[in-house]
Amino acid sequence: MHLNPIVKKDVKVQSRSMKICWGIFAYELILALVFFLAMLVIQQNSIYSGGQNIYNAMVWLYPILAVTQLVILGIVVPVRTAASISGEKERQTFDIMMTTSMTPFSVILGKVMTAIVQSMFYVVAGMPIMALPFIIGGMSWSSLFWFLGVALLVSVFSASIGILCSSICRKSISAVIMSYGIYLIFFLGTGLPYLIYQLVIAANNSYGYVQSGSGDNLLLLLLLNPAVYLLEFFAEVMIGESVAASMLGTMSSTQPGGLVRLAASEGRWLIISTVVFLAVIFLFLWLAARRIDPVRQHRRRQSMKSKA
Amino acid sequence: MLRIDHLYKNYGKFQAVSDLSLHIPQGDLFGFVGPNGAGKTTTIRMVCGLMKPSAGAISINGMDALAHRKDIKRQIGYVPDFFGVYDNLKVKEYMDFYGSMYRMGSKEIEKIADDLLELVNLSDKKEVFVDTLSRGMKQRLCVARALIHNPALLILDEPNSGLDPRARVEMKELLLNLQSMGKTIVISSHILSELSEMCTSIGIMDRGRLVAAGRIEDIMEGVFGSNGLVITLEEGRETAVRIAKENPRVKLESVGEQEIRLSHTMTKQEVSKLIGEMIAKDVVVTGFHKQEGSLETLFMSVTGDGDARKGEKEDASEPHR
Repeated sequence: MHLNPIVKKDVKVQSRSMKICWGIFAYELILALVFFLAMLVIQQNSIYSGGQNIYNAMVWLYPILAVTQLVILGIVVPVRTAASISGEKERQTFDIMMTTSMTPFSVILGKVMTAIVQSMFYVVAGMPIMALPFIIGGMSWSSLFWFLGVALLVSVFSASIGILCSSICRKSISAVIMSYGIYLIFFLGTGLPYLIYQLVIAANNSYGYVQSGSGDNLLLLLLLNPAVYLLEFFAEVMIGESVAASMLGTMSSTQPGGLVRLAASEGRWLIISTVVFLAVIFLFLWLAARRIDPVRQHRRRQSMKSKA
Repeated sequence: MLRIDHLYKNYGKFQAVSDLSLHIPQGDLFGFVGPNGAGKTTTIRMVCGLMKPSAGAISINGMDALAHRKDIKRQIGYVPDFFGVYDNLKVKEYMDFYGSMYRMGSKEIEKIADDLLELVNLSDKKEVFVDTLSRGMKQRLCVARALIHNPALLILDEPNSGLDPRARVEMKELLLNLQSMGKTIVISSHILSELSEMCTSIGIMDRGRLVAAGRIEDIMEGVFGSNGLVITLEEGRETAVRIAKENPRVKLESVGEQEIRLSHTMTKQEVSKLIGEMIAKDVVVTGFHKQEGSLETLFMSVTGDGDARKGEKEDASEPHR
């Protein structure tokens, strides 16, 4: 099998740097701090709730540590990938790369895979701490592998945002800022419209107005919301229920139909949301590949100038 | 080998390259000459597939460069004007990285890389990190890298800029060596003396246009129109001038204290006859030689007055650089 040369080179080059060692150290340190903080809170709760079995509460270390790791990945991966293409341009190695047999898409794929490999370094390094709730009991080991899957998805999603911004921006710093901007759009932009819509309905209902129309299309946006995705994932793993399904049932004043109805049915939200995220990832990678293709890029610039 | 037909590159209203047609035969060492902003790099980038032409066609070995981009990439080795390096990458890993980009196997890369590093005199630097090499070494390594997939055409954009004299000589020797191996080489530069020493043919670009192309001697012949002759003498200057003026195929260029410069369209025999006539009429001729035109003089006469173009150069700076 022919390993993507960019992955091979980047992983080798970055492994020789002390940055990765310090990165893993910081990652472990944060996880350890969160772990001890969570343990302290669980212990305090146990005391104040009259000697409740502390081991029952320890299963909550799983979502706490998992979310911590996913947040770190969500922050670190875009930074890494946002500097990848723009970094090549800054180093002036990009042109040479584009004159080789590598296609723009394989260059993009190589950069994304490097980011995934790196993020998996972190996740695997965090496994011993992550495994503690499983040792104590109350959680199935499959949950750990599901977490690995979600961590992979978060990494790929973050990397695709980073690489798209890297292909757009000339400077790495601009690409990083733009990446976080897009992240924010996914977190807030996909959730706020529905939230506002529900608040308006709630306000109207309290004044006795009858609300016409539905917010089903806004609901679909939530399929792209990483926070809702993670909430759904942990609810499924921890309590075996779909938060999305119950949320749709209670929040929507109308009967949802089509894709929303399908998504709201038990256990389907996560699958549909995953597919939607994968489609977005592919779209971002495809756009990034088009952006770095020198021939297409100049054709676009030229047509823009001729229009002007 | 490389054929360019009516190539254009426009940036809005500005024409970076205009109606460029060129044919470079197999095994040629072709020098692209021109002032900054003349369109050399733009042309090179279009040939390498790093830029799409606004119009025109580029073909390499009869294959259309735009229609067969993937195949064309295997036929070109590109050395840019700036050598970017990756930190923490050794010379042999650098070669391996670029070799694998052409989907070559590790053993094949290792063998070819060894040969190439020997060719560029870097065999002893295999285990050295690339960023610790001198600029000259890096440039030679870049040439070795560009040859890893055995391309038929090697394109170098200002390879000697920023190199010290020794590194320039080494680079020149390397390129001549590669040419003797049958590689077709296109090199852009504005260091004219070096190009005149090694190039078999040149193309002079000015304001996006190819103003002259071909063998240096042929271009000089075409531009200067006649041969130059310098006659040095001790006595009889007036007589020599009179004899020269009487000959309809001779044009007097300048008359110095002990030197007469003239241009002519005579054959070698006629030149000997002219000198003999002068000697017969008591002119003491101490020597004579053919006046050689330099690439610099050729460049200046083809591209026009430098001062008048200063303002234009600023406008003509290539937008992608």
